Amino acid sequence: MTGANGTRSPLIEARGVTKSFGQTQALRGASVAVAAGEILAVMGPSGSGKSTLLHCLAGIFSPDEGEIVFDGQRLDQLSEARRTELRRTAFGFVFQFGQLVPELTAADNVALPLLLNRVRRAAAYQQAMSWLARLGLEGKDARRTGELSGGEAQRVAVARALAIKPKVLFADEPTGSLDSLTGEKVMDLLTDLTREEGTTVVLVTHDARVAAYAEREVVVRDGRVTTLEPSGTDGGFR
Amino acid sequence: MIRLGLQLTLHSGREAFTRLLLTTIAVALGVAVLLGVFAEFHAFQADASRSCWECTQGATVPKALGTRGELWNYSADFYQGRTIERLDLAALGSGAPVPPGVSRLPAPGQYYASPALAALLRTVPRDELGDRFPGTMIGVMGNAALAGPDELAIYVGYQPSSLAAVPGTQLVTTLQGTPGPAVFTPFFRYAFAVGVLAVLFPILILIGTATRLAAARREERFAALRLVGATPRDINVIASVDSVVSTFFGAIAGIGLFLAIRPALADAELTGTRYFAATVSLAAWVYLAMLVAVPAASALAALAALRRVRISPLGVSRRTAPPPPSAWRLATLGAGVALFVVGLLATTHKSIGSPAYPGLLIVMIGIVIAGPWLTVAAARWCARVFNGASPLLATRRLADNPKAAFRAVRGLVLAVFLGTIVGVLVPAVETFSATANASALNNVLLDTFENTQATAPTTVPCSTLPSSRQPGSGCAATGVAADEAQGALTPQAAAKLVSELAGIGGTAVYPFYPLPQTADPNYPGHYSGVVSCQVMRDIAVFGQCGPGIAAVQVQDQNQLYNDNPHISTAAFVDASNPAYTGSLAALPLQAVMVRVNNAATLERVRTYLAVHAPPQVSAGQGVAATPPRTYGEAVAIRSGRAHVLQRLVSLAVALTILVAGCSLAVAIGGGLADRKRPFTLLRVGGTPVGTLYRVLLIEAAVPLAAATLLAAALAYGMSVLTVWRLAPPGMAIPLLGAVYYATMGIGLAMALVVIGVTLPLLSRMTAPDNARFE
Repeated sequence: MTGANGTRSPLIEARGVTKSFGQTQALRGASVAVAAGEILAVMGPSGSGKSTLLHCLAGIFSPDEGEIVFDGQRLDQLSEARRTELRRTAFGFVFQFGQLVPELTAADNVALPLLLNRVRRAAAYQQAMSWLARLGLEGKDARRTGELSGGEAQRVAVARALAIKPKVLFADEPTGSLDSLTGEKVMDLLTDLTREEGTTVVLVTHDARVAAYAEREVVVRDGRVTTLEPSGTDGGFR
Repeated sequence: MIRLGLQLTLHSGREAFTRLLLTTIAVALGVAVLLGVFAEFHAFQADASRSCWECTQGATVPKALGTRGELWNYSADFYQGRTIERLDLAALGSGAPVPPGVSRLPAPGQYYASPALAALLRTVPRDELGDRFPGTMIGVMGNAALAGPDELAIYVGYQPSSLAAVPGTQLVTTLQGTPGPAVFTPFFRYAFAVGVLAVLFPILILIGTATRLAAARREERFAALRLVGATPRDINVIASVDSVVSTFFGAIAGIGLFLAIRPALADAELTGTRYFAATVSLAAWVYLAMLVAVPAASALAALAALRRVRISPLGVSRRTAPPPPSAWRLATLGAGVALFVVGLLATTHKSIGSPAYPGLLIVMIGIVIAGPWLTVAAARWCARVFNGASPLLATRRLADNPKAAFRAVRGLVLAVFLGTIVGVLVPAVETFSATANASALNNVLLDTFENTQATAPTTVPCSTLPSSRQPGSGCAATGVAADEAQGALTPQAAAKLVSELAGIGGTAVYPFYPLPQTADPNYPGHYSGVVSCQVMRDIAVFGQCGPGIAAVQVQDQNQLYNDNPHISTAAFVDASNPAYTGSLAALPLQAVMVRVNNAATLERVRTYLAVHAPPQVSAGQGVAATPPRTYGEAVAIRSGRAHVLQRLVSLAVALTILVAGCSLAVAIGGGLADRKRPFTLLRVGGTPVGTLYRVLLIEAAVPLAAATLLAAALAYGMSVLTVWRLAPPGMAIPLLGAVYYATMGIGLAMALVVIGVTLPLLSRMTAPDNARFE
């Protein structure tokens, strides 16, 4: 994926994306590209459009104008069914809270996307247990969401997102509902595991400490994207 | 705080308004159905407590008539399958009691008819109906004499001397002013009790489900109120106001709906009778009670629901995770079945043992109690057997909250239970009455002239006979046998009757004769009647003579007059019957059967017989002779009660399915509102909406299938046992017919349609485009 000039080619990219909700224009020609394996932090004040940008990149929202390109194909031109399939097979999601199904156990929640991808039940639960172990949740597999702490629930969410080995992990304020210590632990695990797996991460946050885990940061302000200097180790897409 | 509660209920945006509207509609439907059931029962009670003039009993008519009281002959007649209550009257003096609904007794040659019969008399040709009633109509009977506007009844005035000679006539000095014997009343009370319970459960479920609609969303709002300083007491007040407002509106709308459908309800003939609209009504306090009780009950339910959650400023949490339902939940069901079996042990071929009724009710309650346990058991089984995301999501939720899952479908389960009972019992009751022979004789009318009980071989003067049998109509000048005195037509009158009946057109006439005393040296002996072998061939179902025989002697022709078609249509001739070699033309006529080709011909024949050869066989003192009727009508009369039961239970099943369908829709809609976020995030994560559709279907289908199978199996078993105890020996085990499967199929299809209706809601509510991720 490395280009001729030494930069990595983008895995997912927004080009001149605009998106409005009624009279409110959330994005005004936003452009951003994320390289394969890169961890990108999207920052910005509340209401700036950063979550909208994430949802456009993930194919949840269709942009009014502009293009979303994933792995060389125009995401915005795909049917809803195809985008749903992509989200199920190539993307993972971690949100601030509430993404776990309350009636299911931790193991069920992690196995769920695998079962949706037609993995056999025994294999799905084997993988789920493995992911729970990697996230330090041994012995918590039979607990339901209400029986887990906030940090544990977020780690289950990370395990669920990574269980399908996604190409891109979208994380929207993944530590927003956690205390700083727990948030730090969750981010350590998330970044360690995505780096191990080579997963691209788009991380929306307004917390500079969380953004510091990224290799590169961009700021969304008034619906437009501004690139900042890299905060991580080796460079991302330039 | 009450004002704040009102404001939150009435002015909290579209979602709150939708919830208010749905709750109002659900409560209105439930209240209207409840009021309808109560009003119908009120009408039934009003009819049951009406003074029964038909039940008046008098004394034997004396030879010297005197001047006190009146002669009274109450009988039933038929027209197009409907019963006509006929009262023939003859005043003996000026103080003769006047029956209800008229101001005076009809004079000889006059009659009063009920409005429905008067309308028929005006429109139907006289030779099909009007000729049966001698004289002219002088007015219509008032409502006091009638159970409903469709009742056919008539008071006919006679000369005392002519009425005194008619079988069944009595001397009456006072009319019965009390209700009739409660033969059917307890039966219908049970039917109403079962019906009310069957309808009441789902209605309470519907109201309860509706008031708990989107409870989780509401509780989140309460948590927000706690955050800004509301106390738990304030939350209780706000929750109560919310419930009271929506159910109060629903109760008002329900009363309005009931008043709108009341005329249609009066016309519905639920108990086999169309009641006067004025009696299908309720006292003002009932409406008032609805307006108070329903909101009060919903407020209590809301408070009880709040006790199960802890609403803190930081959110909502359940106080305790409810333990999974234990197998003890089957205890009530077992007790009900045991009580029912005890009732069956006391059941005879004539009546059901009384413990069976409460046993039935307890079984119904037991099914409701056992439902959650069954749901968990079925969910666990499905989780083991089925692979994939949908079964996982659905079965985990079912196991997590089986009470809520079963609550949504238990109305349908009760409908299946009741429907199965009716599906077995009613056809079985019909089978008791309708035999293949009775079906073959469906359009054959029987008129009987002679009581063939043992008679002394004596003669009586012609002058003692009714006018139709006196000289001129065939009576011998010197006297006839006592048989003929009891009513048998003389040979000449018989020939004339048979000839004129055949001349009506569209008829085939089959005469039956008494065996002359001279034909049997031991008379009254083994054989008592004579019939032509040609007649036996034409009728076909009563058996056939031996070869070469023109007429045979038959025994116990009484069976023809039995009102049980199993007996009256049994074959009574075979090759062993001795031949009768005398002339049939010389014999008096004992009975006649007439096969008719259509309904108009039937009524012409019946009218002809009523005028020229009225039935003479009476079951005893004060009981009028059985009117000419077809075997089809006899079967219909015997199975009438079963049909009323069928109608009542079918109505209960229909209402139950309707209400349960609404409950199911509200429960699924409410469940969706509560799970909007996790479902939406699942879709965001790539879960196809079809997977979530399957989740909803499985969540409804598993408890429905499990409990329905149990309910249907129990109902079938209980019904078969009942039939086995009630039915004559040798009767086959009743099977459920196509109507049952069609009805149940339609009911379950409706449930699927209801679920299907909520699917677009699921798709819209969980669309990723509408997701809020914060």
